[in-house]
Amino acid sequence: MRAVIFNGALENGGVIQDLYEIVIEELQQKNCMRKGFILRDMSIGPCRGCFACWVKTPGICALDDAGRETAQAFAQSDLAVFITPVTFGGYSSELKKAVDRLIPNISPFFMFKDGEIHHRPRYRKKQKLVVIGVLSGDDAQSVETFTTLVRRNAINMHSPYSAALVFQEGDSMENARKNLREVFTRGGYRSE
Amino acid sequence: MNELKHALLLVGSPRGVKSTSESLGAYLLEQMKKKGVETSTVRLHHVVEPSYMRKELLDAVEKADLIVLSSPLYVDSLPSAVIKALELIAADKKVRGYYKKHKFMALVNCGFPEARQNDTALHICQRFAIETGMEWAGGMGLGMGPAIDGRPLERVGGMVRNVRKALDLTALALTEGKAVPGEAVELFGKRFVPGWLYLVFGNYGWKRMAKKNGVRGRLNDKPYEVPGT
Repeated sequence: MRAVIFNGALENGGVIQDLYEIVIEELQQKNCMRKGFILRDMSIGPCRGCFACWVKTPGICALDDAGRETAQAFAQSDLAVFITPVTFGGYSSELKKAVDRLIPNISPFFMFKDGEIHHRPRYRKKQKLVVIGVLSGDDAQSVETFTTLVRRNAINMHSPYSAALVFQEGDSMENARKNLREVFTRGGYRSE
Repeated sequence: MNELKHALLLVGSPRGVKSTSESLGAYLLEQMKKKGVETSTVRLHHVVEPSYMRKELLDAVEKADLIVLSSPLYVDSLPSAVIKALELIAADKKVRGYYKKHKFMALVNCGFPEARQNDTALHICQRFAIETGMEWAGGMGLGMGPAIDGRPLERVGGMVRNVRKALDLTALALTEGKAVPGEAVELFGKRFVPGWLYLVFGNYGWKRMAKKNGVRGRLNDKPYEVPGT
């Protein structure tokens, strides 16, 4: 099993870094091949919305930067874990810059899915998706928006399983580890 | 009484002036301008990077009474550069204090036929308004955005009559200090053509573009596939 981890923290250290290390440890214990990306340290330009990755160089972004590396690692993984500060109910700009650049991994062609139109998958391999959000304060509306966003992403990315985990700054890291293990177990995560 | 003095349009598309986001936002601002509102436009992808350009964004926001964000939908949310801009504005509001009560509204358009696919992005816009102490004036989602293809709405014809009507109603309401009317939200989200037809034409369009680029037979390439998976 291969896993990719996108760390969308805006700054060094803090709860997100702690959670990132927990995720790495948990995957390490299961002998899972893993690739982690600290996105703020990477030069990933914003998606230009040019569609070149669909109709000029199918499957590869026109921007030749680290966004290609993250998209490739994602496409070749079985499990994707995103970690981010909950930002207005969504992802941070650092996480989003990498997520926007995953567009080459889907096909331009449309299909009907659950009564809506979506893009078809490009690859047979699909990624289970676990998204961890860190929220400063108690805000039910942000949690709801975040959870919906993860569910919607799973539809568009054709993920066979998805989970959103929201922690508050100050939550116990041991509880976080326990919740993460439960989510991995529910997702059919297995040791190798 | 005209309660609105200055409206600022933030364009969230990297395609800037050639984008559907610009078409929608510019039409709305034009209607407000006709009612005596002063307007200005900032294209976010030009001011978020390099960092020395950010002051232009923050000063424009501070000057405005109403901020209109017009953005495409990227992966169920706003594009990263738009989120970056919102993060910058939020940080700036913290520094400056929340003395000025701006109004904030959003137009989000997507390439799918269903306008409701924009809902999560609109909720994110609403959360931004709340967290920065702004007054949320409402949001509207539009499907089939590529059918407009960045053309001025006046030149698109009857296909967008509901969109124009929705923006006319919105301009009137906002100018009078009211929120986006429910009727406008409904009109804005109406499909131009049935979903199945959009799917057929959309898929044909991708093939046509690929053919033009000489990659018609490569549309389903899998450059990152690991053999055996």
